Amino acid sequence: MSLSNHERGSEVKSSGRFNFSGLALFAALLLLWEFSSRFTPAIQPYFPPASRVIHSLFQPSLARELFGHLLDTLGRFLGGYFLAAAMAVSLGIILGYFRFAYSLLEVVIELLRPMPSVAIIPVAILLLGIGNSMMVAVTVYACAWPILINTIDGVRNIDRTLIDTGRTFGLGRWKILRRIALPAAAPYIVTGLRISLSIALILVTTSEMVVGGSGLGFFILDEERSLHTSNMYAGIVVVALLGYALNRLFIAVETKAMAWHRGLTARGML
Amino acid sequence: MTWSRESKLNGFLVLLSVMAAWELVSRTEMLNPLFFPPMSKILRSFFSLVFSGEILAQILSSMRRAAAGYLLAALVCIPLGIIMGLFNSVYRALEVVIETARPLPPPVVVPVAMLFFGLGDGMKVFVIFFSCLWPILLNTMDGVRNIDRVLIHTARTFGLSQGRAILKVILPAASPQIMTGLRISLAITLILVVISEMVGSSDGIGYFILDSQRRLKVDQMYAGMLSLALLGYLLNQLFLLFSNTFLSWHRGMLRSDK
Amino acid sequence: MSILDVEGLSKSYRQAGGESTLAIENISFQVNEGEFVSLVGPSGCGKTTLLMCMAGLIAPSAGRVVVKAAEVDGPPRNLVLVFQEYNKSLFAWRTVLGNVLFGLEVKGKPAREAEEKASYLIGLVGLDGFERHYPWELSGGMQQRVAIARALAYEPEVLLMDEPFGSVDAMTRLELEDGLLRLWKELGTTILFVTHDIEEAIYLSDRIYVLGRRPSRVIQAVEVRLGRPRNQLTTRADASFMELRNEIYKQTAPRLSSGW
Repeated sequence: MSLSNHERGSEVKSSGRFNFSGLALFAALLLLWEFSSRFTPAIQPYFPPASRVIHSLFQPSLARELFGHLLDTLGRFLGGYFLAAAMAVSLGIILGYFRFAYSLLEVVIELLRPMPSVAIIPVAILLLGIGNSMMVAVTVYACAWPILINTIDGVRNIDRTLIDTGRTFGLGRWKILRRIALPAAAPYIVTGLRISLSIALILVTTSEMVVGGSGLGFFILDEERSLHTSNMYAGIVVVALLGYALNRLFIAVETKAMAWHRGLTARGML
Repeated sequence: MTWSRESKLNGFLVLLSVMAAWELVSRTEMLNPLFFPPMSKILRSFFSLVFSGEILAQILSSMRRAAAGYLLAALVCIPLGIIMGLFNSVYRALEVVIETARPLPPPVVVPVAMLFFGLGDGMKVFVIFFSCLWPILLNTMDGVRNIDRVLIHTARTFGLSQGRAILKVILPAASPQIMTGLRISLAITLILVVISEMVGSSDGIGYFILDSQRRLKVDQMYAGMLSLALLGYLLNQLFLLFSNTFLSWHRGMLRSDK
Repeated sequence: MSILDVEGLSKSYRQAGGESTLAIENISFQVNEGEFVSLVGPSGCGKTTLLMCMAGLIAPSAGRVVVKAAEVDGPPRNLVLVFQEYNKSLFAWRTVLGNVLFGLEVKGKPAREAEEKASYLIGLVGLDGFERHYPWELSGGMQQRVAIARALAYEPEVLLMDEPFGSVDAMTRLELEDGLLRLWKELGTTILFVTHDIEEAIYLSDRIYVLGRRPSRVIQAVEVRLGRPRNQLTTRADASFMELRNEIYKQTAPRLSSGW
């Protein structure tokens, strides 16, 4: 039984070494795509040659169009994500800290939570129409859940001594919340934020598909319907790059902001 | 996340008052009753849809797709994840392809699936399959990788062949984390079945909700959402029941660690 | 008659920089059928590496291990290794009974017969009544007893034990030592016991092989001529026990008198 990877730890990310076999397989699949498409015109409506997709990506007119859609999508994403983060973190801290507040909302939360958040889209269309505000609203709604639940969990798991330490320093309740509860719950909050990152992208692209108009989700669906397949794939490449970039950015920020926590975990103090 | 009975009572009181306020606001037309039909009307619509069997039919067609995509993903990803966890070379070979496809938000796979499968069940099954791949695959792999070396050596010292070691030791030892992947994917499945039905379908609960909105049968839309929430709750409970039965040893172990 | 022969065994590991370090070098010794033999040596001297080679879990770089006239080139059927880390080696998803049944299932014993055998062994290690408990519900000493019962149920001719009592408290350790001696007498299994505790080795064994520092080799073979059954109080107070202890100490820890 091969155990060579045993000491590598559980983090699923690239080891940084040059991955020859991985790149080789990737290249082989691209080539397979390219040539099977070139030599079987019958499948070209489904699989235009990879080179054609790349080519269309670099056509100025399409690139400009894609860039516009990308900006629309990104704007909705950022608006929804940050609004959700601000609201859910503050509400989560309050609900986690004040047991009574949570008891009031518990049933409502438990009722709404299991509903797949995309189902809110029709309601949002009804109330807000089909503009940006609707897409941002559904993104806020969906992203808020993981952040809220994780923040509540995080605040509840704060060690009592930490809060008492704040008390002995004469901090008031609000100061304790801001100065102690917020940073102490941060590892949980970050987990929520990470989950919400992909959820935000799901909600933005879905609502763009459902209501149309603009954005990468709309573009991809629209190109599919008009059978411009290579444009559709070009759009997908752009979305994937966006998802990848957002993910990397998140990891970079997290690494910087949470350095203290990693140190703590590494020393086995948690 | 439950506290006490008393807190549940509080919660239900709040829920009831919200519903009462909704009713009042709608009846007095403080908010447009077109958008906020009275709660009583929504509930009546919900029950009539339930008893006429219409909601059930929609949910059944959604569930059929969901189950197919979800089970297919589990069937492919658990064995593959085990192989990737055991053989680092396999993981390295697939790494680039996986990391390229993973950041793709699952909804944009819907148009691709429509291209290949049209608007039928195949399209939805594929979309669900695709979006469930990653959590199951990566959690299974991680679970296998985290198995302690001593455990593997134990299996070997008893003369187990590789195949039997996988069945008797690796699979059970990794099962808590496999279950985590399955739980995450369950939530994703539900989201994606709704999305794919909203974008391209003529039945299913996702279609029903969006269609009710488009035809301005707002009470039906809310009733559909209510049944979707109940469905989500039910599936979650079912999953918990299933995983608690299979992983009772693991829960006990976690408790004894505290 | 010898049942276990280690002949000129060496094992080197390749390090990150590409150079290789020798963990054990040219080790040779024998264990006769039915004997209780211990290997003692300082921590980190490569005892575990040696055991892994003997259990067929890793391949040696040179030399060979012979169990019952058959050269080891994979885990041998008639030999089982008991690990120090009982909490990692037990199957957390199986009950005590399930764990002990494991080796019997692997061998394909009929269910009925297997269950009888398992119950018998659970009784031998003093855990009757705990059959339906999970390992994590038991204390450390009890867990290691489960691991021992599980190994013995497999009916090995040779039992290898890698510091099996290294992670339990001192009182439990004494109990486990006596328990193990009783089992050994009852079942007649050949036992090769690895420890860094010299007194433990003397107390348990017929013979002791003393290993030196890395890369370790056998520096001395010591016959233990203490009567059996042994007793934690009288045996350990015996003058020849002390003598043996001092002799081995001098071999393994020459710097003992000079402190740090």
